[in-house]
Amino acid sequence: MPLWIQITPGSNKPIYIQIVEQICDAIVMGKLAVGQKLPAVRKLAAELVINPNTVARAYKTLEQARLVTTKTGSGTFITNPKLQEFDAVDYNILLERINAVVSRGLSLGLEPEQLRLMFLKSLNKFTQDNDEDIK
Amino acid sequence: MSETVLQTVGLTKYFKDKLAVDHLSLKIEKGSVCGFLGRNGAGKTTAIRMMMGLLGPTEGSAELLGCDCQNLTPKIRQRIGYVTEGHRLFRWMSIGELEKFQKAFFPKQWDEKLFDDMIEYFDLSKKQKIKSISNGQRAQVSLALTIAPNPELLIMDDPTLGLDAAIRRQFLEGMIQLIMRQGRTILFSSHILADIERVADRIVVVDKGVLKADCTVEEFRNAIKKVVFTFEKDAPAEIDIDGLLRFRTDGNVIETTLINTTDEQIKSWAKGAGAIEYNYLKLSLEDQFIDFTEPNKKGKLFDWEKN
Repeated sequence: MPLWIQITPGSNKPIYIQIVEQICDAIVMGKLAVGQKLPAVRKLAAELVINPNTVARAYKTLEQARLVTTKTGSGTFITNPKLQEFDAVDYNILLERINAVVSRGLSLGLEPEQLRLMFLKSLNKFTQDNDEDIK
Repeated sequence: MSETVLQTVGLTKYFKDKLAVDHLSLKIEKGSVCGFLGRNGAGKTTAIRMMMGLLGPTEGSAELLGCDCQNLTPKIRQRIGYVTEGHRLFRWMSIGELEKFQKAFFPKQWDEKLFDDMIEYFDLSKKQKIKSISNGQRAQVSLALTIAPNPELLIMDDPTLGLDAAIRRQFLEGMIQLIMRQGRTILFSSHILADIERVADRIVVVDKGVLKADCTVEEFRNAIKKVVFTFEKDAPAEIDIDGLLRFRTDGNVIETTLINTTDEQIKSWAKGAGAIEYNYLKLSLEDQFIDFTEPNKKGKLFDWEKN
């Protein structure tokens, strides 16, 4: 049971996008590894109490981003831990989020240098190769 | 592959000289789950009652499963499930008696196990009398009674009205179970947009009896946008952008809600009007619905600043 997927209907984000983002996050954070199987469309739909087409739409989007592949009869599997093509829309969404974090930080009175450190720390958390000087 | 399960052509109803449904023409394909939206008094219940053959249209017609709704045969009716607003059930009967009663109309297709499972899942007992259970429980019984004959077409008139959040969720779970069965078609009206978003793949919007939208949920979500334009000094008094539903001006800022306006049109209008920048704001389905069905609202409900 995929406890980590939680949807909020009525938010300004379509439900299928919420699912896509959470699966992407789970892949990046290592909760889902390459080769792992995603829950069956109908099972996840029943679990989240949403139309199965919405789940199918989310899986299709992940497939188009080449993060997963669907094998007929056996299910949908994680194939790639990274986005292959940087979609312009995704890029803009990401930029928007970073902007929101930065402006919130500045309005809380943080110095740009503090924000920079926080950003590096977070980056460090997800990438193992550059864990030297920042603590 | 697509097969029309429900179709209305110019369906119209006058109550004396009051127009309730105005030339409603829509088509619902097999397998779709259609949310029927409209504000109170928009004509949803009247339209549904005409579809079910309970009310004669003043003009136009409706067909369910290929059969004219005014002459629905018992055979056709057996394939249709109908949940009325308010879940009216015989109060003096027990759940078990109601089951027997309902089953008699669907002798061959009644899924006994499904009915029992649902009653158990809802924590009800067949001995309970309808008059002694709550509204929410009545809704659960009515859902179980409607789904047990495994209807091909399920029509529900605001089935979750007045239900608490937990029972509403269970009701939606029941709907999802039915959707999972291949080729089941559902038309249901509701005022809870978050529920529509969960279960529907299409939406039909009526306003003052007139069909205003008939599209997929995704198309609706993409069609209605909120854009905020910022100007150097005062915002222009006239806003002649295509597809304007609603706007609000505050000094040098205009907030607009637009429908079917392309990004190019927005860009070129911003340029022509001399906006220094413009941003898209994200809307929830509920916000979109409100702006769509109540455009150009004048003034405010309360003017706090005056007091």
